[in-house]
Amino acid sequence: MQNNLIKISFKLNGNQVETEVLPELTVLEMLRRNFRLTAAKEGCGKGECGACTVMLNDKPINSCLKLAATLNSSDQVISVEGFNEDKLMNNIQQAFVEEGAVQCGFCIPGMTMASYHLLQHNPKPDEHAIKQALSGNICRCTGYRKIEAAVKKAADRRQ
Amino acid sequence: MSNVEFIKATDIQSACTALKNPGYMAVSGGSDLVVKIRNGMYPNLKGLVDISGLNQLNHIRTDENKVIIGSGCTMNQIASDHLLQDYFPVLVKAASTVGALQIRNSATIGGNVANASPAGDTIPALYVLEANVFVVGCNGNRKIPIAEFFISPGKTKLEPGEIIEGFSLLLRKTRGEFLKLGERRAHAISKINLAVATWNDGRDHFRIAMGSVAPTVLRCKEAEEYLENCEKLDEAAIARAAEIVSDTARPISDLRSTKAYRKQMAGVLLKRALTKLI
Repeated sequence: MQNNLIKISFKLNGNQVETEVLPELTVLEMLRRNFRLTAAKEGCGKGECGACTVMLNDKPINSCLKLAATLNSSDQVISVEGFNEDKLMNNIQQAFVEEGAVQCGFCIPGMTMASYHLLQHNPKPDEHAIKQALSGNICRCTGYRKIEAAVKKAADRRQ
Repeated sequence: MSNVEFIKATDIQSACTALKNPGYMAVSGGSDLVVKIRNGMYPNLKGLVDISGLNQLNHIRTDENKVIIGSGCTMNQIASDHLLQDYFPVLVKAASTVGALQIRNSATIGGNVANASPAGDTIPALYVLEANVFVVGCNGNRKIPIAEFFISPGKTKLEPGEIIEGFSLLLRKTRGEFLKLGERRAHAISKINLAVATWNDGRDHFRIAMGSVAPTVLRCKEAEEYLENCEKLDEAAIARAAEIVSDTARPISDLRSTKAYRKQMAGVLLKRALTKLI
């Protein structure tokens, strides 16, 4: 069998990085295996659940559906870890904790990423906008109400 | 180790040359393809040709009296484009119902069409706008009307070594609606979807197409002609058009819905769409 590892370079959480990936490796698998960044999770592996959400060039994507080899050197990937020091993300995370929005926690990294994108573009979202923004993220502990309350709280606190 | 070769295309011609090889497939957003690969649907996959870096495919531009939408444009790119919002609301509405936000940031219109799902949401919208598909290949380019592009579920007229370069739409102001029914309001594959476009150039024109009610998207010419020849577009006329559309639909029962439900809802969706438009 041929060795067809592909060298790629891209910006990860602010730093230009290089790594080698197989053609079918997804961005999610690459983050978890090559970089040991395990915040993004594989829930469904087919773009239904949003647990794998990361930012690609400031837009949330399902990292389980993007092939790592298709990343370009100018591409910028940000995982939850990249927002460790980010004020808005810290605010969202704190609100999730205070509202008890986290049950098993598996969906939460994705939920916070989707919330982050929402609050970046819509600082005062109404209930509909929050639901809309989180419609690509599934929580199987049935905790949507508290999650929505947390996003609302994070938004209110920013004002 | 993997047996699959990965080729990052740097220009369209080299992409086409690579795609001539048996078992080679083009990948851009990956939102359909990656799932299919993982589900083992391509046991003979030999190579992936990444066309996402071909910048000339990623633009929406006007060319004389046409709008050209590059095949690499994402659903969100289409949904947020002001020109498309202004001229082709049916396509904008269709693109903004595909998957959820995360999918719409990756999924491309070229992929939605090439994947040729009977439930593909942008396809009925392209039908009612009478789009042409621009195909490029090693042996030159061709232009295929969207209504002639599909053969059967998953199968199109694309030959090995060809890719979709883009879609051209006649630059005319239309009004339109796109409605779909899924298991839930957001992020669902259509049980049935329906697109209507209408414009006036001295008289009213109507175009109606629906998905998930036949092996390929269906255009409903009989209902279009009925509406165009109606003296008065009142409730009775809408009800009659809905009946025609319902009769035209020839769905099957499958894991997402039943034949009877789809048939009935075809009419209901048309009624809802027309009520908004007239």
